[in-house]
Order: sequence, then structure tokens, then C-alpha cells
Amino acid sequence: MAFRILIVDDSPVMRAFIRRIMLVSGIEAAEFLEASDGREALGMLRQQWVDVVLTDINMPGMDGEQFVRCLEADDLLRSVPVVVVSTDATEGRMHQMLSLGARGYVKKPFLPETLREELERVLGEAYA
Amino acid sequence: MLENHWEQMLSTAAEQVLETMFFAAVYGPAPEGEPADAPRFAARLGFEGTPSGILTIGVSRPAAHTLAANFLAVDGEDGLTDAQVGGVVCELANMICGALLSHVEGEEHFRLSSPELLPDAAPAACQHHQSLDLGDGTLDLWLAVENHAA
Repeated sequence: MAFRILIVDDSPVMRAFIRRIMLVSGIEAAEFLEASDGREALGMLRQQWVDVVLTDINMPGMDGEQFVRCLEADDLLRSVPVVVVSTDATEGRMHQMLSLGARGYVKKPFLPETLREELERVLGEAYA
Repeated sequence: MLENHWEQMLSTAAEQVLETMFFAAVYGPAPEGEPADAPRFAARLGFEGTPSGILTIGVSRPAAHTLAANFLAVDGEDGLTDAQVGGVVCELANMICGALLSHVEGEEHFRLSSPELLPDAAPAACQHHQSLDLGDGTLDLWLAVENHAA
């Protein structure tokens, strides 16, 4: 099964890195979509379905925390699984994002297999 | 009293990020002799919490191009623009700062600003500095902290 994956990060080089890591990790992606902040991502999600969202937290405009809150408050988008990929590696932040509704959390720096395993876990739970 | 050994934490965070995400190694402290005004890419970001502070990094141009080529999987460094290399240096600063703060004693939550590229590397004043040898250049780290116990 190939997945449609939305990457939300204000850094173009980080979006390119994540895309590459997923490809070399063997994640079957039918399509990668990209957004530079939460607001742009919300607009894209209201236009088209994706299987999973990977989002940063610290972004100008709508940050990752606001983005996850908006998804959880939206009846149509609440079921879209979100994995946070962030440099914020504090336990407090991770627990906060998971309690807000994120399904997974990957701390930067990460090994390619760490991202793959977390994505597979979250996708497995969402589409079992 | 909580105590943070910032110089050691800077080195540890940088090594962790470089090895994991940039497929690069740190060969120890940088040898003396690189001129302070040597061309390099520099980036800075702030963080808020306890403590708050500013992290500035400077990467000599050859090392910055190597790191960017590794990060973006570009064959040959000639295909990289300065904007791409600058973006990678900003992301390097972002990740080193996140890794550094994950080792800080006592704090549960920090807010990081977005990294910005700088025309000059060295900040006017800072409490903590590390200069690391990357083989084909140096990575300098400057850290200014406030509200800290150590």
C-alpha cells in the first residue's frame, strides 16, 4: 500500500531531507505533499485526503501545536494521524503534543529507521 | 543546585547531530590558527525557558558545503547554492540547540525561535564557546545563557 504523506516544516531543506529519508527507508509513498506551516497544511487537508501528516513544532505563522489543536477540533480532520518531527526533545513537550492528539513523536536528530518505525507504527494503528 | 556543563554539552550535542543527520564526524577540538574572519556560514537562534539564551554557530565554507551535500544527498558540492547551504546550516543550528536543551537539568519545556542566517559569525559576547574540527573545516559554537543556576 502506498501512502499520501504531508510534510509540514518551514525549512525547505528539512522537507527535502525527510522526503529522501522516507524513500531510502522503504516507506511506500504514492505522493508527498508539502506545507511550510500549519495554516497552509490545514488548507491542503481541506482540499485533499492524506494518510499521514509529519509536522514540525516551531514554525512561523501557525506552529505545530496550534495545527494539532485545529485538527483535533475539526470533525472531518480529527482522524488524520499526525506524527511530530521536532528538535524539541524535552519530555514535557512530547507528552503535551501526544496529549493534544498527535499519534507519534520523532525527536531530531533521528536515524532513518527511527522515522520509518514510528511511521509504520502509526500507520498500522490507523489503518489496521 | 542544578548545574549544567555547557562546553561539554555543546560538544556532545554537536557530535550527536552531525553523526546522526549529517553523516559527519567530529575529530576533536579545532586546531588553532583559522583566522577569525575566515569565510563561513553562520546562523543564530534563541530559546526561552529556564535558562533562556542564544546559540550561534559558524561553519567554515568547505565544511558547510560538505555537510549540505551529505544532508541533501547531492553528488558533488558544486550543485549546491548558497541558499541551500545556508538553509542546511540553519537546520544544523536548530538541531544542535534542540539536542543541547534536551540535556539541560530541570527544565521541562523550551520555546525555540526560528534560526536566522548571519553575515558575521562571532557574536560580540558569549559565556561559552567550542570550536570543533570537522576534517575539512571547523564548527564554532557560541552560547549565551541567562537565568541559569550553574
